[in-house]
Amino acid sequence: MLNHADTIAALATPVGTSAIAVVRASGPQAADLVRAIFGATPPPRLAQHADYRDRAGVLVDDVLFTWFAGPNSFTGEDTVEISSHGNPFIAQKILEDLFARGCRPAEAGEFSKRAFLNGRMDLSQAEAVMDLIHARSERALAAANQQLRGALGRHMSRLVVELVGVLAVIEAYIDFPEEDLPPEDRKAVQTRLAGLLADTNRLLATSHYGELLRDGIKTVILGEPNAGKSSLLNRLVGRERALVSPEPGTTRDYLEERIMIGPHWLRLIDTAGLNASPSPLEKRGIDKTIEQAAEADLFLWVIDLTRPLPALPSALASRLTPANTIAVFNKIDLTPNAGVELPQIFPIVNISALHGAGLEVLEAAVVRLADAFHIEIWDELVAINARHAHALDQAMTSLASAGQKLAVYKPSELVASDLRHVLDAYGQVSGKISNEQILDHLFASFCIGK
Amino acid sequence: MGASTLLLTGNIDTIAQMSCNPAIGGQAKGQMVREIDALGGEMAINTDVTGIQFRLLNESKGPAVQSPRAQCDKKAYQFRLKHTLELQPNLQVFQATVTGLIFKDGKVIGCRTNLDIEFHGRTVVVTTGTFLRGLMHVGQNKNEGGRLGDFSAKTLSGSLLEAGIELQRLKTGTPPRILGQSIDFACLQEQKGDPVPTLFAFHDTREDGDLFHVERTGERKIGWSPGSEQVSCWMTHTTPRSAEIVRENLHLSAMYSGEIAGVGPRYCPSIEDKFVRFADKPRHLLFLEPEGLNTNEYYINGLSTSLPFNVQIELVHSIPGLEQAVLLRPAYAVEYDFAPPTQMLPSLESRKVENLFLAGQINGTSGYEEAAAQGLVAGVNAVLKARGEQPMIVQRHEAYIGVLIDDLVTKGTTEPYRMFTSRAEHRLLFNHGSAELRLVEHADSHKLLSKNRLSRIGVKLEKITHWERALENTKTQGGSFADALRRDHNSAGLPAEFIAESKEVKDEVLYRVIYRGYLERERRQIEKLKDVEKIKIPASIDYLSIPGLRRESAQKLQQFRPQNLGQAGRISGVNPADISILMVLIAASLREKTI
Repeated sequence: MLNHADTIAALATPVGTSAIAVVRASGPQAADLVRAIFGATPPPRLAQHADYRDRAGVLVDDVLFTWFAGPNSFTGEDTVEISSHGNPFIAQKILEDLFARGCRPAEAGEFSKRAFLNGRMDLSQAEAVMDLIHARSERALAAANQQLRGALGRHMSRLVVELVGVLAVIEAYIDFPEEDLPPEDRKAVQTRLAGLLADTNRLLATSHYGELLRDGIKTVILGEPNAGKSSLLNRLVGRERALVSPEPGTTRDYLEERIMIGPHWLRLIDTAGLNASPSPLEKRGIDKTIEQAAEADLFLWVIDLTRPLPALPSALASRLTPANTIAVFNKIDLTPNAGVELPQIFPIVNISALHGAGLEVLEAAVVRLADAFHIEIWDELVAINARHAHALDQAMTSLASAGQKLAVYKPSELVASDLRHVLDAYGQVSGKISNEQILDHLFASFCIGK
Repeated sequence: MGASTLLLTGNIDTIAQMSCNPAIGGQAKGQMVREIDALGGEMAINTDVTGIQFRLLNESKGPAVQSPRAQCDKKAYQFRLKHTLELQPNLQVFQATVTGLIFKDGKVIGCRTNLDIEFHGRTVVVTTGTFLRGLMHVGQNKNEGGRLGDFSAKTLSGSLLEAGIELQRLKTGTPPRILGQSIDFACLQEQKGDPVPTLFAFHDTREDGDLFHVERTGERKIGWSPGSEQVSCWMTHTTPRSAEIVRENLHLSAMYSGEIAGVGPRYCPSIEDKFVRFADKPRHLLFLEPEGLNTNEYYINGLSTSLPFNVQIELVHSIPGLEQAVLLRPAYAVEYDFAPPTQMLPSLESRKVENLFLAGQINGTSGYEEAAAQGLVAGVNAVLKARGEQPMIVQRHEAYIGVLIDDLVTKGTTEPYRMFTSRAEHRLLFNHGSAELRLVEHADSHKLLSKNRLSRIGVKLEKITHWERALENTKTQGGSFADALRRDHNSAGLPAEFIAESKEVKDEVLYRVIYRGYLERERRQIEKLKDVEKIKIPASIDYLSIPGLRRESAQKLQQFRPQNLGQAGRISGVNPADISILMVLIAASLREKTI
């Protein structure tokens, strides 16, 4: 009677401090997941070394994974445990990928609950399990409440109010066809749905924190041709990635690498050199750089100590602040140009990209700035964030589908069916929304009743 | 079901008398009438036979939200049902007013009447309508009674309170009735019935011996059949003068002068409410509905009020077409007792008093259909209880009847509860045509339908599943027939054998095929919820002593006492973590028992 149809996934270890992070997925889909991600199910209970590639085939991390065939697992169900490097961002990536593959975020204490229900724990542990569920849900609730009091909560309640309003209109025409209502205006509903779609999308996109978790802090390396940007990137990444050559202007487009610096997940972007009198080809590269810089979180401005201090294009200069920029003076192993005047307003680090000197100081400086993006997180909160994204994503899909139905004049109860899904999805972020709210809104807006 | 049953009523002649307008069905209610029919209830066939106008609402929308509605001949409806009861084997009808219940050891064992005759039974179903301490208001004038001209059940409330059942007040209202020949129809807009009536009953189960006089073709026109003789309704509206009259006299309205304590329904507001709450709406639509073929009485649908009678006359005369109208009966508001329905089990048995079942307005609902649905379920369960069997529970995902009862017992209500399609999570599955297919298992296991009818349903279901499969698998241009139907509703070239099937079979097949994706999505969601629905909560559980349960949830659960985890999850303020804790606790207690 207690078999579970869903496969659940969550972090099994606390995040942040440990050397490894363990993501656990449990349920009937676990074997399929292992086959899809790692090729085949290995012998159970033996750790395997493998690359974790997400659904798009992009390498996330090299991991150790262990396959447990039910009932010989913690939960008693088919289970896979994936141990990645111990930073929240990689674990987060893996979790999000598992959700994309059909897993559902585990509720507070759900693994332990399943373990108990499947007879993997004895009776005396039942109370401990309940305490655990209670404790975790309290913490999750506290975290959720904290978020809901903030900007996310305000955005969500606006979305919910608007959606309830739209549904009230649609339901009024379904449930009260005999009433003297103003003529049904599908166009107006369409417009409101488009608005909801845009707002939901914006919420997803502007939840910058989520983006930082997913994609890393976008860090742009910029500077004059041959200042040593690519050398720096290679140093940081620790392998030859960008094409380094003494010819200025080798990097005409831009290159991208993701690395961990301290506890932070960085998306490093190497850009084309900023030449004061560029050729048409270089000009295109510089435009790309400016484009990249527009969305950047951090800047590493590499300055060649042997040359005069360059001027920055104004489109770039306006983006640089002491909070997001480090002035990296390169080539300390060579004779400095006497005329270089230090741009005092930025934090300054002296390095030699070629020999690797000063890199630790640079990393420490990056961590200091990146800390400002770092929001205090612990396991439940990460799960909640992933859940938000998951829910809002579903909301977007259903909103789009409702909009299409309106456009081709599908019956409105089908539109309503999609919008109920949106409401459920919003409800996963903002708390349950009851049917009564729609009726309340309906009776308040329309004079119903013959 | 064959149980020996006594029906007590204050007046046999007013059995099934419709206190408001004689209309059956409409949104969600029409579907519910068909569900009642599917469970062996009489409402559908009675409506078909006595209906004088039939309309299918929402015809422009999809099948799930299309609802049949009928205007009935009020007297014919009432007398035919009385006749049906007289013919019912094992049913004894007797006229007496119930004055109180008799209890013994926390159970009900019978009732007392005004004739000083006591009746005893294993189970008792109480259906008081608006009569329980009913008080009618016309302006400042007050009369005791549940309906104009009728009495009030005054002492029964005391009996319920004595048994520990909490009571509260609700209010509803009804408009004035006017004389047809005083209406100027020339300036009104006519509303005709559908040329082809959509009937409610799935099968015509009438036999010669049970026919009521309107059905006897010899005494009426040859060739008469249900819906063959229809009359029109008429539309008019309020004027700025009507609004003035209402506003000037608002202080005299029983509702606005503080005379009424009960809460009224939002979906059926009085004309006072309409002008106050929607002051910017220039006019309100009104429908004039004939009350029958053998009367000239008309019902002014939309003009419910508790203004004094002299104001009512002035108000009616301010309406186009009614300038000279003669009022036959005043509009009035009625207040009555109800027992908040969270005090009941899903079987509609009282939690406080064993063997006592409640149905209809006493549970806080309004509407004939809502009452009939509960009456049917309470009746079936009263028999099952008397026999020591498990109750019949219609689930939320099966029918509007399930939604109705689940809402009542898990959420309660603060206004007279009416069904809307939007209350059902899975309304796409509740198209009116599928009612008997959805509920056939309940009907079968409790012997609510004749063998003959059950086998007809079986044949119909077979045909439907056959054609569903055939249309999916038979290729035509650019895919199967089903693909073509889903793509552009193209039904051209469908097999002749299919075209030859009955409309009922074809409609259901087309619905299932065209909406397949949506219906499957609904079913998947139901499957997900079924697991928790199946986990029963022991009746003895003390929520307040469960470690880890949040205080707020524990109190809510203690108050509503859900029967399974599904219900528990629908209680507002109970979150998934609380359900998880309950699940662990229940599993632990089960394991303890088996060890």
